[in-house]
Amino acid sequence: MMVQSKAARLRRAIIAWVTVALFVFPLYYWITVAFKNGRDIFNQPPKVFNFSPTVANFQEVFGVSFGLPRNEVLAGGGDFFMAPHLWSSVVIAVFSTILAVAIATLASYALSRIYFRGRHHFVNWVLSTRMMPPVAIAIPMFFIYKDLSLLDTYLGMILIHALMNLPLAVLMLKSFFDDIPTEIDESALIDGASRWKIFRRIIFPMAKGGVAATAVLCFVFSWTEFLFALTLTQTSLKTVPVVSSTFVTSVGTAWGNMAALGTAAMVPAFIFILLVQKQLVRGLTLGSLKQ
Amino acid sequence: MPHIEFNKITKDYGAVNVIRDLDLAVEDGHFTVLLGTSGCGKTTLLRMTAGLETITGGELTIGNQRMNEVHPRDRDIAMVFQNYALYPTMSVRENIGFSLEVAKMSKGETAKKVNEAAAVLNLTDFLDRYPRELSGGQRQRVAMGRAMVREASVFLFDEPLSNLDAKLRAHMRLEIRQLHDRLKTTTLYVTHDQIEAMTMADKIVLMKDGKIEQSGSPDDLYDRPATKYVADFIGSPAINFIHGTIEAENGTPVFASVDIRYPLAPDCAAQPGQAVICGLRPSDLEIAVTGDISATVMLAEKTGAEQNLHLKAGEQHLIVVADRAVPAPTGQSVDVRINTDRIHLFDAMTEQRI
Repeated sequence: MMVQSKAARLRRAIIAWVTVALFVFPLYYWITVAFKNGRDIFNQPPKVFNFSPTVANFQEVFGVSFGLPRNEVLAGGGDFFMAPHLWSSVVIAVFSTILAVAIATLASYALSRIYFRGRHHFVNWVLSTRMMPPVAIAIPMFFIYKDLSLLDTYLGMILIHALMNLPLAVLMLKSFFDDIPTEIDESALIDGASRWKIFRRIIFPMAKGGVAATAVLCFVFSWTEFLFALTLTQTSLKTVPVVSSTFVTSVGTAWGNMAALGTAAMVPAFIFILLVQKQLVRGLTLGSLKQ
Repeated sequence: MPHIEFNKITKDYGAVNVIRDLDLAVEDGHFTVLLGTSGCGKTTLLRMTAGLETITGGELTIGNQRMNEVHPRDRDIAMVFQNYALYPTMSVRENIGFSLEVAKMSKGETAKKVNEAAAVLNLTDFLDRYPRELSGGQRQRVAMGRAMVREASVFLFDEPLSNLDAKLRAHMRLEIRQLHDRLKTTTLYVTHDQIEAMTMADKIVLMKDGKIEQSGSPDDLYDRPATKYVADFIGSPAINFIHGTIEAENGTPVFASVDIRYPLAPDCAAQPGQAVICGLRPSDLEIAVTGDISATVMLAEKTGAEQNLHLKAGEQHLIVVADRAVPAPTGQSVDVRINTDRIHLFDAMTEQRI
């Protein structure tokens, strides 16, 4: 290990802390906005620490869920009760992630292990679909969804998010499977195991970390996706990124409420990442160690 | 009786030919080693035997059954891979018992067989550990245990010792050979290490460019190498080669090079005027008071009980294995005696043994 002088260590620590602060401060400021009243939000100079915290913004956004009477908590311009939309987002993100990861895991294992003519081109083709700007297919998708009666449905949103995630998920998981030596499959093949058994008992448990990492990526994509959530939903089903725009009203932007929803929206994603964190670290380092 | 037979086996990868018309019989219960440098086709041949590579042409039989199209699991074989290919998410017990689990053997029977194999391989104390918690030698033994419990009729080893350090390698060599002597299972073993081949094999098959250069017992290959390539490959330190021609002197054939002149046995098959390469094993040369070659010591490498003397006779570099008691300071002139019975002559053009 390299021996460092005290000054060098201090310099490194300072750079690290400044970098962390740079990334964390906007997040911190956004969360404080959620807990500020209107005057504190617009105060000049901005109140970073010394504001009087309030949960009024959260009450307006989620209050009805906690039994508060509707007319008491709902503010002027629009309907700010957002709890159902948060729930919609969770359902869509979770199920589209499960769907995308389930299909991608099987597809990428096959692409990693089973040789067929033109496999290389197939993989490139899968990736190329991801290079297309989503807006190019937004309007055609709208008409397709309209014909299939998928507009404004959970199934429709789950399908489109899973579809958008598949190429990247397949490629990411393929790289994890590629890192697992094929001798392990061959050894199991000689041991008499079927392909499915090899996948289920041996390869999948080894690739768990990679699956977790891919799941996080899919979840975060679905959680933050705006374009399709906007065009393929109309009234009954809306996700958090879409409803965030309703805080921009004719009488001004409700920053406090928007921050409250944003802060609350971090929680499910945070919980999800926390759940897969142990696998995630292994996933991100898979292949870096000699078998 | 041959157990595995390769008849005119050919393997192509697209336009690249790796093995061509290879014929080989592996005797039942024998320990046969496929030896050669990397890229010579030995691993490909092993993988074809296992069913992990398709066979482009020819026929492979195991126990007189054609195997070309048979699935690996139905070939009655067990294989140990170079990187062991243990299942990292399973304990040693599960690793060894996996093939039995797949075969739907009862739990009691599986446990019995796993315990037996573990006892033979000194793995009893490690059965609940995971592969990552084992040393290289222990992993190697788990891989062997996995092969053992299957009670297959053929064992295939693909360079199983190349990831181990020198001391452990020597130890595992012994263990594998003892295991074979106990189980008497037909074994096909791939290695690039000639010492492994010499110490373990009943029969060595030395391969070069997808063809068999020579096959036979270790002694055959050492004492009567069929080609210059075989002579060079087998033996450590490597054999000395001296280029020269055959001359007749009073009716006796004489080997003559720029720096060395030496009478050969009268029944030597080489013809006068023939360009030859003379192979002299370092252990067949001797430092003597009066010898056949005068040389100067360049370097003495001590190897323990012996020393490898690097000599210069004119422009010719020679290695001689001598007792460590022989005084050989650098720069000293010495005489080297040749053991006439142990000269290997090869045609300079064809490199075939004369």
